[in-house]
Amino acid sequence: MPVRTPHFPDLLFGAAARLRRWEGLLMDLLAAHGYREIYPSLVLREPVPDGTLRFFDGDELVALRWDFTVALAGLLARRFPEPPDRVAYAGAIFRRPAQPWEAVERFEVGCERIQPEGEPSAEADVELARLLLAIPAALGLKRAILHLGNAALVRRPLEVEGLPPVLSKAVVAALSRRAPHRVREALADHPAAGRLTAHAEALLSDLNGPDTLNALDASPYAGLLAEEREHMDRALRALLPLLPANVDLRVDLADVAGLDFYTGPTLRLWAPGAQQELAAGGRYDRLFPELGRPWQAAGFCVRLSRLLDLAETRPDLFDQP
Amino acid sequence: MTSLLIAFPKGRLGDELVPRLAGTPLALDPEALRSRILRIPTATPGVAALLLKGSDLPRYVAAGVASLGIVGSDTLDELDMDLLELADLGFGACRLSLCAPEGVTLERLQARPHLRLATKFPRATEAWLAREGLTAELVPLSSSVELAPLLGLADAIVDLVQTGATLRAHGLVETAVLGRSSARLVAARGATLSEPGRIMPLAEILLRALK
Repeated sequence: MPVRTPHFPDLLFGAAARLRRWEGLLMDLLAAHGYREIYPSLVLREPVPDGTLRFFDGDELVALRWDFTVALAGLLARRFPEPPDRVAYAGAIFRRPAQPWEAVERFEVGCERIQPEGEPSAEADVELARLLLAIPAALGLKRAILHLGNAALVRRPLEVEGLPPVLSKAVVAALSRRAPHRVREALADHPAAGRLTAHAEALLSDLNGPDTLNALDASPYAGLLAEEREHMDRALRALLPLLPANVDLRVDLADVAGLDFYTGPTLRLWAPGAQQELAAGGRYDRLFPELGRPWQAAGFCVRLSRLLDLAETRPDLFDQP
Repeated sequence: MTSLLIAFPKGRLGDELVPRLAGTPLALDPEALRSRILRIPTATPGVAALLLKGSDLPRYVAAGVASLGIVGSDTLDELDMDLLELADLGFGACRLSLCAPEGVTLERLQARPHLRLATKFPRATEAWLAREGLTAELVPLSSSVELAPLLGLADAIVDLVQTGATLRAHGLVETAVLGRSSARLVAARGATLSEPGRIMPLAEILLRALK
């Protein structure tokens, strides 16, 4: 009998009931806003990337579903000549954990907003943020924090400076650690070192409400990023009047998680004291064009497994049913 | 409200750190320090310190067990944990160097058909080998690395060098500097991003105390 196993959580009565209840509540919420469910197969015929759980089906190497967005994108690009505009999903994904305390099997509910290329996307971004704002109340989470970011705030300066991939990766890693001094260390004598360090300092100077956008004034790339700033400002003006009393809204200019995937606005939902974000998403306009479809998309995913863990360790954060 | 834990390193960095905290709101309880207790009360109620081995410390912070921690950048780079690095504290400065027996030059090491390097820092060593276009067999060790070239376990070592006294005592010299290290203030990602109002004031106290 193996004595060292990865973390495959078994859900006992209370947690299993909570999972089913939450999954139902969230899928009902998404359905009420026009999101229709698609259930991509648990087994993928494209056994990449490395973090997937893979096995042989006869002679064929296959993988367990490791990401709903990627599984759905493949299915939608194959099966639909025109994009279905709103899609929802629920179920488990399987991924080798980056940290030993992470589970291999993870339960998620999420949604995707897909549009033909060229359609205005700002409304879709706000629609998703509004939906995300409704989730804490639906799950009985007493307090939550919504972080708004924009991947382009880092991606565009790196593209303009034409940094080699190894240096770009180092800058992104430094920003992920929220360490502007690491940006300086990574770039050393590179001609863009001063500009990118100043930009990192501007992005990391504050993590607060709408006024945080003013920090971009100090960036050498303020002009380059005027459109992104305007987009974030419009989103904030649309969302602030709708903010539920139990949700705080913060602008996180230095959100670089998933920077190789996200292309625009990003959303992350936290609870005070939670060790990990409880939901995450954003705009990823490059995914469908890479699959041969001229579509743009955004979405988010609620990480139910993390919420279940939080309900176990911090029941005080939830309304009692 | 649960109490906050700060992870402090034992060993070389800890020896520099503890006197700097004396007289500050985060001064460690002297009686507890003299005991074998590893969870030490500080002068601030509700804030305690964990005394941890440097190589374990980032894991406690990344898992959110400790909200803040102080650790060398060499250890951070080696473990690559998901945490925030709020400041370079400047002290504990040292070099990560390739060290070989006196008289053995870098060129001689590079010319070896099969180079063996003993180290506690395999990730940083591999990165340097890749940058230099070299290959080597790595001999992973966790302490007393200086003995490896003397006893034939390896041709050279990659290790931290502060004053060079230990190297000289073993007849070794630095042949290349791979990188530099100093103490860093690290923070748990979740705690900091979800409760900055609780964590950042404590980080500010630490930064003021260590100025």
